[in-house]
Amino acid sequence: MAQIDIVDVGHTYTAGAEQERWALKPMRLTLEAARTYALVGPSGCGKTTLLNILSGLVKPAQGRLLFDGSDVTALPTKARNIAQVFQFPVIYHSMTVYENLAFPLRCRRWDKARIEARVHQVAEALGLDHRLRQPARRLTADDKQLISLGRGLVRDDVAAVLMDEPLTVIDPQLKLSLRRRIREITEQFRPTVVYVTHDQYEAMSFAQEVLVMKDGRVIQQGTPEQLFEAPASTYVGYFIGSPAMNFLTVERVGGQVTLAGRPLAMAWDVPDAPQIQVGVRPEYVKIVGEPAANVFPTRVRGVRDHGPQRVLEVELAGQLIKVKTPREDGVPATGQILVELPRAKVLPYVDGHLATTPRAADPE
Amino acid sequence: MSRLYATFKYTLISVWAGFVVGPFMWAVLTSFKDANGVQGGATYLPWVQYEPTLTGWQNIFGGAGGVDVVRPFLNSAVITLVASIISLALGALAAYGLSRYRFKIGFIANSDIIFFFVSQRIMPPVVLVVPFFFLLQWANLLDTIPGLVIVTVALLLPIAVWVMVDFFNGIPRQIDEMAMLDGCGPFGAFVRAILPNSVPGLTVAAMFCAVFGWNDFFFAFRLTFTEIQTLPQAVVALNSSIPPWWTLSAAALFGMSPLILLAVWVERYLSKGSLPGVIR
Ligand SMILES: Nc1ncnc2c1ncn2[C@@H]1O[C@H](COP(=O)(O)OP(=O)(O)O)[C@@H](O)[C@H]1O
Ligand SMILES: [Mg+2]
Repeated sequence: MAQIDIVDVGHTYTAGAEQERWALKPMRLTLEAARTYALVGPSGCGKTTLLNILSGLVKPAQGRLLFDGSDVTALPTKARNIAQVFQFPVIYHSMTVYENLAFPLRCRRWDKARIEARVHQVAEALGLDHRLRQPARRLTADDKQLISLGRGLVRDDVAAVLMDEPLTVIDPQLKLSLRRRIREITEQFRPTVVYVTHDQYEAMSFAQEVLVMKDGRVIQQGTPEQLFEAPASTYVGYFIGSPAMNFLTVERVGGQVTLAGRPLAMAWDVPDAPQIQVGVRPEYVKIVGEPAANVFPTRVRGVRDHGPQRVLEVELAGQLIKVKTPREDGVPATGQILVELPRAKVLPYVDGHLATTPRAADPE
Repeated sequence: MSRLYATFKYTLISVWAGFVVGPFMWAVLTSFKDANGVQGGATYLPWVQYEPTLTGWQNIFGGAGGVDVVRPFLNSAVITLVASIISLALGALAAYGLSRYRFKIGFIANSDIIFFFVSQRIMPPVVLVVPFFFLLQWANLLDTIPGLVIVTVALLLPIAVWVMVDFFNGIPRQIDEMAMLDGCGPFGAFVRAILPNSVPGLTVAAMFCAVFGWNDFFFAFRLTFTEIQTLPQAVVALNSSIPPWWTLSAAALFGMSPLILLAVWVERYLSKGSLPGVIR
């Protein structure tokens, strides 16, 4: 349980590279104690590098790292008291399952009875309790990863638990229940958790706060709610949400934003810029029967099943957008439908970045 | 086609086996002959073509007119064993360091250090023996077992380092990282997480060490005089103006026996499939 301050930490694997090409651009970030963070971003964006810097496996090229205010930048991994789970199973082949799980505790000289109790507790939670005596190398990849996971969760005195896409190799069937188990275990001793995943659904459902990374930078940090409601950039809008956020190029005539020749009202002041896009989540686009303000005629181009929902692809003023509708609404009979872009849910983007300044006195 | 291939394959294997086993069988036959048995051309069938005797074997165990090879055998065993253990211990440590850490001393990097080790074996032994002689003389270790152990370590260490660097490079670095996360220091990670997984590599290295250590003749020959004699020296010393082939054969077979036993044991271990694929 520790607050982690990342102060101007940056890293490059090739000495002398210019900063623009560093694997991790210098960043300033605070991870609060006992909070659960999800780190998402495409492959190669520096997620693993950041984790390894936190655990001390990688020494950052610059910057300082503070745990609860004290500088740990120079401390070796062993002294940082951090648990980490790698993407692929790492087990000690010469040991049994029990010995694997007990190893971190034995290294820290816990007494035997306490080790025994804790190992059994974690093994039970992960469904490994009936194979504790088996040699670890005989297990399947799934089970090996469970051991890795168990070793990461077995110490209840760690400053932080770092998990690097721990469920990638796990059977999808098992993923859901495992995620819940991980949550249950960590909630018992409430460490700071950083959970790397490229699965945005996993991130949104698991974490209290989500960090979106791209090209070695954290480009947005916020609660799942904030990321969903107000992506800071079109990139985050595409990355978070399924299907991705809709973006439409709009015109600005005088002080008024227009789309397809009709005025588009928004709850924000829109800056004057040569090119303006608006973003709206497919969840918020409404199919309506009557023309009204912010209602636009569209043509249906396609229908896709999306679990319990249905996604319509419609063409609005020559641009395709997606509309998520409940399944029971059925597919609209006509090729022409009216959709409403709710005023409060339409966000302006300039140069790919959110450009909202909430109106001083919003009449609503 | 496949029949032709099979014929070809087995012919080749048979020829090769003949090459390998032939001299060995020859030595076995000869070791049970005496002066009469080896005269007048080759003979193969005991009791039919010649009368088998134990003269050769008696000679190497202190029989009249022979040399007792038991003492040299023990000398060789002690030197090989101690030198192999030291080489494996030092070699594994050096190899682990070279496999896991990047060194840079001026223009010298890891690969150069590894090459430096291996180059000790590339150099002709003649080049090494003179400095070894003076070093041992300076340390007052000429003609002693510790002196030969030191020299043998110098010969075996490159092999151990070479084999083990390769082996450690094959063990994922994540294992070390994991051990450090679990609370080991670099040395603890090596001893507790890496070494237990290194039995196959260590076995191969030990095998090489044993063979090279056991068979060394040249250095023992040059660096000892009267006190210490190793087995290869003793075998050569059996030679005289009329070579006692039967005694030489018995000595050679006796000298080979530990390596043959070792090979059989390691081969079993190999065929159990436990050498490769220990990691992942
Ligand atoms: N050990 C390494 N040596 C050199 N480059 C590396 C190393 N590890 C990662 N990189 C590079 O750093 C960048 C970030 O990698 P990484 O942190 O593994 O990304 P992620 O975990 O988000 O996929 C990538 O461009 C990758 O190629
Ligand atoms: Mg990664």
